[in-house]
Amino acid sequence: MSQYKIIFTGPVGAGKTTAISSISDAPPVKTDAAASDMTKNRKASTTVAMDYGVMNLDGGEKVHLYGTPGQERFDFMWDILTSGGIGLVLLLDNTRADPFQDMRFFLQAFDKFIQATAVAIGVTQMDVCATPAIADYQRELKALQLNPPVFAVDAREFNDVSLLVQALLYSLDPGLKGEPNDSIQTY
Amino acid sequence: MKVYVESTVANLQPVPLKVALHGMDARSQKTMALYLKGPCRGAGIVVEDADADVNLIDADFPAAGEILQTCQSRHPDRPVVLLSLQPLQINGTDFVQKPVNAERLMAVLNKFKALTSALSQPQNAVEAKEKTGDEVIKTPEQAKKRVLYEGNEGGYARFLGLLPGVEFNNLEQIVKAGFDPKLYYLNYVLSACKVTCRENRALQLRSIWKPLLIFPDTRQVWLDADDKQLRAFAGVEQAKGFAASIGLSPLDESVRGSLAPEKFQALEVFVWKLAIWTSKGRFPLFLPPEQPVYLKHWPNFTRLLLLPDALRISSLLIRDARAPLEIIDILEAKPQHVFAFISACHSLGLLEPGERRRAQSVAAQPPVAGKKHGLLSKILHRLRAV
Repeated sequence: MSQYKIIFTGPVGAGKTTAISSISDAPPVKTDAAASDMTKNRKASTTVAMDYGVMNLDGGEKVHLYGTPGQERFDFMWDILTSGGIGLVLLLDNTRADPFQDMRFFLQAFDKFIQATAVAIGVTQMDVCATPAIADYQRELKALQLNPPVFAVDAREFNDVSLLVQALLYSLDPGLKGEPNDSIQTY
Repeated sequence: MKVYVESTVANLQPVPLKVALHGMDARSQKTMALYLKGPCRGAGIVVEDADADVNLIDADFPAAGEILQTCQSRHPDRPVVLLSLQPLQINGTDFVQKPVNAERLMAVLNKFKALTSALSQPQNAVEAKEKTGDEVIKTPEQAKKRVLYEGNEGGYARFLGLLPGVEFNNLEQIVKAGFDPKLYYLNYVLSACKVTCRENRALQLRSIWKPLLIFPDTRQVWLDADDKQLRAFAGVEQAKGFAASIGLSPLDESVRGSLAPEKFQALEVFVWKLAIWTSKGRFPLFLPPEQPVYLKHWPNFTRLLLLPDALRISSLLIRDARAPLEIIDILEAKPQHVFAFISACHSLGLLEPGERRRAQSVAAQPPVAGKKHGLLSKILHRLRAV
């Protein structure tokens, strides 16, 4: 059976793990744990350093949700990780010193992947720090000749993460159907 | 009697098991708290060690052995659940193998729930929740957002359907379903917002209704009315006789501190819903439905009242200029939804006329289903099924 994946990226603390947790059917596997004194006699270490979740679809298919390690030291993994990916969710922390720099860095790092697929950007911590505003991000993106969905996101809220991923899906295929015509969604 | 019934039902609600987490960093604790709340359907809530019914230990943590000993010596009667990548059999503990499966974890927690008579003391659980931190305590912003979501349900669709004298299945009638924004409260609000932002000082909009206070520095408005009241007033044509009572006046900044904080709302959120409720599914007369338009940016949907088909329409209008009638045809969307969306986007300045863009390019074709259409539809379905 085919395996599909959506990649979540962004700087450390932007909410990748939390966002994956919010929509995953299984808890993200914490893979950077060292072996404990109870398990080391069986396995010395289990260090992979990557967040992971999964969404189970109708018909038994699965969509894997991978979070890239925030630390730049792991960026060699990103090409491997994105291979065969459906699209990219970029989460940015609005309280960081220069979130635009973060945005440019990740857009540049995933440039090829974005060109082949699509990106949706979620800005977290906007309740803590209201600036830059979403309009400021859009201005920055315009200069980069990009116009993806940019939403304020609380990564703990299923609805926020769900909407962001839905916008990513519609960016990939505007012909998708699915919204009930007569009733408003429960967002 | 009603109060009695409600309070009785509330008391019978199963109380989640109180779980103390050990051997996990702050990030893992947050993740586990979300996991218990979401996929485990609230089977447990994370609390401080002193208040817990059960200890949950990540046995892959380097000092897990010491942690287990400490837990068992401090609370010898308290059950312990170990999580590990490797199968473990340790006396006096239960074990759940990683990757943790919600059903398995719930089964273990529910077993302890029965033992600890968790159906009692809901008040304690609430108090414990408040102590545990950010996964539980709702900020005013979150609380406001929840109210917005609730306001989305049902009421809006019902409201749009009530427009008298327009048969939206009839093309001849659709093109007559316009409204003149100048005749509505929306127009005064938009003008007031422009002046307020230009002058960069707080102003008060007076009308025959309640005063609207606009604060440009925080891009917020303050109105002493709920959404039902606003929705009703939005749809009322402002008679010319009322014009004399409409005006702008400066606002003393010191007033801000005395205002009820829950009645502040983001300017964009306010204007967006006001435009929808003014439109009632009609198009603004200056944007006729055969005129192509395009979206400058995606609306910030996580903070706005979400209309049916809004994401689909956005994805279409962000790529190409389309006339609202074209959108209705391509997406098989209801005209009321498209017109309300167009009205709201225009009020936030997100729309641009599209004739020039269209003239410069080949006529836009309807979107063609991509290779992964089926897969993406399934993901969409899964996200909406929750």
